This record gives sequence, structure tokens and C-alpha cells, in this order.
Amino acid sequence: MSVIAAHGLVKRYGSAVAVDRLDLEVERGEIVGFLGPNGAGKTTTLRMLAGLIRPSAGHAEILGARVPGRGLRRVGTMIEEPSFYPYMSGRDNLRYAATLHGDVPPGRIDEVLAFVRLENAAAKRVGQYSQGMRQRLGLARALLHEPDVLLLDEPTNGLDPVGIAEIRENLRTVARQGVTVLISSHILAEIEKLVARVVAIERGQLRFDGPLHELTARLDEHTVTMRLAATDPDALRSALAEREIAVETEAADPAHAKVRIAQAEVPELLRGLLTSGVELLEARRVGEDLEDAYLRLLREDGRPS
Amino acid sequence: MIPLYRVVRAELFKAVRKRRSYVLAGLWWVLLPAVTLIIARVVQVNVGGSFVDETGTTVATLLQELASPYGLARVALTGPAFLSPSYYVIVVALLAAVFIGEEKSLNMWKTTLVAQPSRLAVIWGKIAAMMIVLALLMAGAALFAVLAGAAATTFLPTTFAGAWGELGRLYLQQWAHLTTLTLFASLLIFLVRNVALGIVMTFFLPALVEGIYTVWRATVGFEPINRLNAVFQALELRRTLENLPRWFLTDNLYLPARVPARRLIDLFGAEAADLQDSPLGSLFGSGLTLPHAAWAMTLYALFFGALLTWLFVRRDVD
Repeated sequence: MSVIAAHGLVKRYGSAVAVDRLDLEVERGEIVGFLGPNGAGKTTTLRMLAGLIRPSAGHAEILGARVPGRGLRRVGTMIEEPSFYPYMSGRDNLRYAATLHGDVPPGRIDEVLAFVRLENAAAKRVGQYSQGMRQRLGLARALLHEPDVLLLDEPTNGLDPVGIAEIRENLRTVARQGVTVLISSHILAEIEKLVARVVAIERGQLRFDGPLHELTARLDEHTVTMRLAATDPDALRSALAEREIAVETEAADPAHAKVRIAQAEVPELLRGLLTSGVELLEARRVGEDLEDAYLRLLREDGRPS
Repeated sequence: MIPLYRVVRAELFKAVRKRRSYVLAGLWWVLLPAVTLIIARVVQVNVGGSFVDETGTTVATLLQELASPYGLARVALTGPAFLSPSYYVIVVALLAAVFIGEEKSLNMWKTTLVAQPSRLAVIWGKIAAMMIVLALLMAGAALFAVLAGAAATTFLPTTFAGAWGELGRLYLQQWAHLTTLTLFASLLIFLVRNVALGIVMTFFLPALVEGIYTVWRATVGFEPINRLNAVFQALELRRTLENLPRWFLTDNLYLPARVPARRLIDLFGAEAADLQDSPLGSLFGSGLTLPHAAWAMTLYALFFGALLTWLFVRRDVD
């Protein structure tokens, strides 16, 4: 039985279609990255899964129960920027949520505050919290009732690298405890470090659903990325330009050139560079990261990169 | 019932932490009796034992009616109904702003409705919590008024005498009438998705609609001068239209609080019954009875409650 399921979900706003016949299934204990450019329909999908908005067609299920329904009591969410009552302390905001939910064991508030390392700021009004503290308090609130499912929308938005690493570590711990997590993020590097499976949507439609390595491998089948370095970087660039090959230069390392070419053309390129008199110091194939793969997936669909 | 109970508890927890609750209580519990007592003392010092005592109502009677424990408790019930906008509507609108409007302005609906997915429990739990806060505010106002009145017996010629049972019933009925106002304010604030606009509409919309009717009646009236009125007459709707003021929201809403004021009018030599056809008639609920007002409020409450529930259950959360 899937823990999270979407069956032909559609959401229309007038004539605009935000989510278009989306099918999705997430099994127990999985951490799934939910990708898509701005306006792709990620947040709308998460809101439908959380029962906050009604689908125009199709339906969602959480823990086998139709949404909205009893399954939602086992869901923790952090959708967009977490919001709180600013005049209440962090602890009181959690106490309010715990009272509203009802099934929160005694002492759990202290546990989650310690888990997100907010125990020393728990008595402060939330109005005085930094963005990072609010994000962490949002995660604490989502975990308050020990949910089986976490729906997280951009949980690391606005955080500094230390805050991002902390949230990532928190989520790994939660996932080890068997919680199913569906997480959307614009910071693809973060998703890459956290998930094994990604679901990509664009214009409300499913574009990819599968293991992360499959996404990058699928794209690698056709083209590869080569990292080249030569004794004379300018000669290397000229030789590549003659062959009409676009070069990506890394600002931090201008001596290297990154090119993306068809796999079959690699031997010919290397031979050609040598015959042109370019003395190569380095020529190696580099793996694509998620961001490269994702952007190319979008380009395949005709979107500008 | 359990989700409803949880929502009520959570909302009361929030109300206790909101400074606004204490400001409202302070104005009603402390300021109102204090101002009344100061006025009473000024009256006693300046006109007590003067020629006033030789005419109809003596100063002692006036002080007993206004500044005794019973008199102050009555002022705490009646006073808030005679302001414009009334203190009752101010309190209810501000509570609705906290319980309903703030969820929108602070973007809290998504949190509330995930923690408690039963939308029926959420909306009716909030209404129940508002009614509990109103009950506490009214009970507090009565208690503080009695305490202030008791303290005043030491320096004013007043006693504990009074029709306490009847006053208690009026408090209860006025509180019950405020359910309608609570539903109305919650509906408007939820509907317009803007706290400030919702509050302003709660303050003035009923008066505006009733005012338009009054102007129309005064200018056009029910004379058969146009086809519309002719149709009304043919359908025998004229009587219904003429009786419309009997069903106005505001007149019926404040009736339990305004009834005791009739006694004060009688005290000053006027007959409350004489006011029926005067412009002040509606202010004192002339021509209306408490059972009629209870019926009117029930009908309004059912309408507002059904509309609010329907909207709340269906609306997407931004």
C-alpha cells in the first residue's frame, strides 16, 4: 500500500491548469524529491495532498485514506514559509498546535525543541526569531505528533549553509525512523544529498519519476560532459571554437574548460585537439549533477535553460 | 465532539495570550464602573440635598438606580448597547478578528487545518471559544460592577436591593443574542478576507442597510405611486414591508440590554411606551418583546451559521 498516492490529480484556476492529471505513489519510508520550476504546480500538489485545497478532478490518498480524511492526522507539513502567532513564544506556538491536534504525548514539545536545537530560544516570542529559527520551529511543529508522513515545501528556503545542513541532518534522522518524506526544493544540490528518488513536474504534468541515478544516467546515454585542461588554455578554447563546441568556464578555475558533446564524438574530439597542437593536461568525463540533469530535462521539452 | 473540544481548548489558550483580551476586559470591567461611580459621586456632592430632592425623583433614588451594586451591574449590561458602534459589536468584531481574521493575515489557516483537519470542528470550535470569551467578559463585567457597587455603598446612599433574577436572565439572553453577532462578524471577516474591512463592515453594514430602508420609507413610502408599489399592494406585501423594522438585526440584537433602560426613562418622568412612535423608539426597543427578539436572532443565527459553514468547508486555503 502506498503511503502517499495521487490519482489523476487536476487543479484548475479558471482556465489555467496548475496541476494536470498527476499520478504519484510513494512507499513507506521513502524520501522523494519533488522538483519543478516556479509555477510548475509543486506547492499546489502538496496543498492538495495536505487537504488544504480541493482537486478539480482526481483524488489523493494518505495512508490508504482519501484526502481529506483520517489519514491527514498522521501527516506533518511545512508548506511554503512556516507561519506562527508572533505574539506567542516558540513553545506556546507548539503547545497551541499540540492542543489542536490532541495526540501529542507529554514531553514531546521539549523533545522536538531539542531535536531542532531551539530549546534555548523556546521562551522567546516568535516575532523575534530569525528566518532560520522559524524554519526549524516549523520542522519541530511538523514533527510534533510523530507523523508517518512529512510533506515539506522548500524547507531550506532562506537558510544559510549551516542552517541547510542542520535541516538536512534532521530530515535524515527522521527518515531513518521510517517516516515517509515528500520534499520539494529549488536547491537541487540539497535534494541530491538527501533523496534516492525524484519526481519532476512541469506545467503541472509529470516529467520524470524514478531513481535519481536513472535521471542522470538516462541523460548521460546521449551526451557526456568532459573536463579539459591544456598547457595553453587559449589554444584549447580556439580549437574548440573551430569545432563549434560551446565551452563552459568555471569562474573559480579558468584554466579548465567544460564541454558537453555526444558520447560517440569524444574520441574524434580528443584526436582532433592533439592534431591541432593542443597539449592536453587533463581530459576526463565528469558525472552530471542533479541540477545539470534537471535543466537538460527541461531543455528537452523546449524550455530555455 | 473530541476535535471540537480540542479546538475550543486551543483557541482559549490563544485568547489568554492575546493582549487585546485584557484591554477589552479592562475597559468593560474597570473603566465603565469607575466612570459611573465618579459621575454618581459628582451628582451626590453637587445636587444631593438641593432643590432636586424636592421634585419627582430624588438624588438617592437616582444613585440607587445607577451606582448601587444592582445599578452598576445593570449599567454593565446596558451601557455597551448604547454606544455607536456599540461596545458589544466592538468586542465581537475584535474577537472575530483574532479568531478568524488573524488566521488569514498571519497565514495560519494552513497550520490550523493540518493540525486539525476537521473543518467543521475548527469553525464551530472557534465560534464556541468566542462565545466562552464573551461569557467571561460579561460575567467579569457583572462581577466587577457588583464589587464596585459594594465598595460604593460605603460613601453613597445605596443598597444591594434590585431585581437580580431578571437582570441575570437579561444577561443570559443578551449573551445568547451575541451568538448571532459573532456568526455575522466571523462570516464577514472570513468572506472579505480582510480584517480591517471585515471589522468596518461588521460595525456599519446592518446600520447602513436599515438606514437605507428608513430613508426609502421616509421618501418614497408605500404610496401606490409606481408599479413596484402597486405590485406589493396587490400581493399584500405592504404590511410585511411596513413591519420590516420589527426584524431589524440591531434592534433585536440589543433588546435584552436595552430593556432595563426603559425603567430609567420612566424614572425621569417619561413613559417608555410613549417613545414607540418617536425617533428614539427603536433605540429602546419599543414595540419589540424579548421572545420576538429571541426568534429573530435565532433565524439570523441559522442563516449566518449555515452560510459560514458552507463557505468554510468549501474554500481553498491560500
